[in-house]
Amino acid sequence: MASGCAVSVAGGSKWLLQFKHQDAREGLAISRLPPLPSYIFVDHSWMRISGIPGLDESYLPRYIGIAFGFLIILNHVFSASPATPAQLRTEALGMCLAAFSTALPYLGRFLEGANATDRASIPEENKQIFVMSNDILDTQKGDLAWASYALLRNTNSMSVIIAVNDVICVRGYWNTPEDKDASKDHLLNWFNSQIQKTGFFDLKDMLYFPQGSESELGTLLPKGTLSALIQPVIRTSDPVVNFATKNEGFILLASSVKYAYSEKDRAWIRAVANKFLHKISKDL
Amino acid sequence: MFTSSPSLKMEAIGCLFSRRSLSAFPILPPRSRRRPFQSPSLVPLMMSSSPSSAQEAYKGPRPRRDLVGDWVSNNNGLVRSLPIYVGGLSLLVVLLNRAFSGIALVTDASSSQSRADILTLSLSVTNLLTGLVWLSIRPKYVSPVIPCGVECMRINSDIADLAIHELRWVWESLSSTTCCRSLVVIYGGNCFLQIGIAAESQNETGVAMVVDVHKLLQGSLCRSAIGSGKQSYLANLSLYPGRSELPFLPSNTQSVILQPLGDRGIAIVGGDIIRGFTNLDQSFSFDFEAFSLLV
Repeated sequence: MASGCAVSVAGGSKWLLQFKHQDAREGLAISRLPPLPSYIFVDHSWMRISGIPGLDESYLPRYIGIAFGFLIILNHVFSASPATPAQLRTEALGMCLAAFSTALPYLGRFLEGANATDRASIPEENKQIFVMSNDILDTQKGDLAWASYALLRNTNSMSVIIAVNDVICVRGYWNTPEDKDASKDHLLNWFNSQIQKTGFFDLKDMLYFPQGSESELGTLLPKGTLSALIQPVIRTSDPVVNFATKNEGFILLASSVKYAYSEKDRAWIRAVANKFLHKISKDL
Repeated sequence: MFTSSPSLKMEAIGCLFSRRSLSAFPILPPRSRRRPFQSPSLVPLMMSSSPSSAQEAYKGPRPRRDLVGDWVSNNNGLVRSLPIYVGGLSLLVVLLNRAFSGIALVTDASSSQSRADILTLSLSVTNLLTGLVWLSIRPKYVSPVIPCGVECMRINSDIADLAIHELRWVWESLSSTTCCRSLVVIYGGNCFLQIGIAAESQNETGVAMVVDVHKLLQGSLCRSAIGSGKQSYLANLSLYPGRSELPFLPSNTQSVILQPLGDRGIAIVGGDIIRGFTNLDQSFSFDFEAFSLLV
């Protein structure tokens, strides 16, 4: 059952009040909605062996595979007598197992619930900077500062660029060509020129480089980048103004670890990018 | 660490205080849940002046497709149990090889054969144990619960358009990214936002229950969260007696985040999955508190 009435809003607009009563029949309520997630990620990091600092336990099969594979080779080389067929079979099986054990951590990375490894140290060539375009409103500064802070704090990122409608915010660890007495304007000009070369304003979908190297994305990314993600700020069609999808900018994140951004991370990055729809412009 | 300017904060908080009673809110037109990033119709769109923003295809580098990663993701169950099969089979092969090759069953350290067998057996056991670990840390599949209530969209009309835009963005972010199904934002003694699924009013059929702000803020849950200034995550709401302080949420709400907004407000985020909010969800919910002081 639904009821409606008109309510006045300051400014003269009227909004229709509607309450939809959820149907009592199970399943009908969700028939209008997209499929719900069927599982949750449970953090099992507490189950890991916490003994040796700096040792990632998920890599133990690789270490054992390499070590024992090497020992098998040594055993074969230093055998007192020529290897029998039985020994050759065992050694062949052993080498296959060593290769498989070495590959196990790589396969495990893609399993559901796998978490990114701990953050690597920040490469020394980079320095921490935080610059924004000039002549923007305080509220826009606040949005950019909050978004850059939230993304750096909550994801495995060391660097972020938010570029929306001619406004740019750069934060985190970067290496720029002249890093001694670079003024703010000089830095902004450098970043703007680099961004124009990338073509990210033409993106329509997220780009995620889980093992991206710096050479793939030009000189923009800081040294030591092992993962990069570019999320465009896309406005979908608006029936009032009759626009199709339009790229209003992008958010670029760089990380010093591989496979830094999980599916959940990417969902939140999309949500943060959506914050800047229509809001940021030097003309506002 | 971001800090806002005092003048900006005063202006923002000033906006929070300029409103009338709850009964005069306007209601936004109903919108589908779970359709993220729809453009709100409040603010006229601004054109970008950048020439590169024309409708051209992106021509830059694209990530290489990881076939192995795709295969593993699509065959999760098989890959989890693969090390067990490989380890078990190779263990059997080593024993059979030794048995059918006429080798004595006694392990002799001076024998190359025995050393090779021991190394291979160790690798087999390593694979077995890895497979067992992978199976034991399989993510738990939990079905979401359909919230019992009515759809609700109430937002205070007296707050600034910017604040309305922010609140709607918060709701869209939470509802599309997390298991959030209900959101209530209280500030300065007033309810700014009540959206999502709400409990049905006892007086009127099909109408969402109005939030009794005074009673809510006097309850132990809110007083504790606001007093401590820290987020409170109730992963399994049914276990908490304080559940009765949140009657406006659907009766079968599974988990709740109580996020204080400074010392004058609180955001209540209700979810439909037990322990459904991850650490990342909680972190971003906490960060909403930081920016909300600018709204």
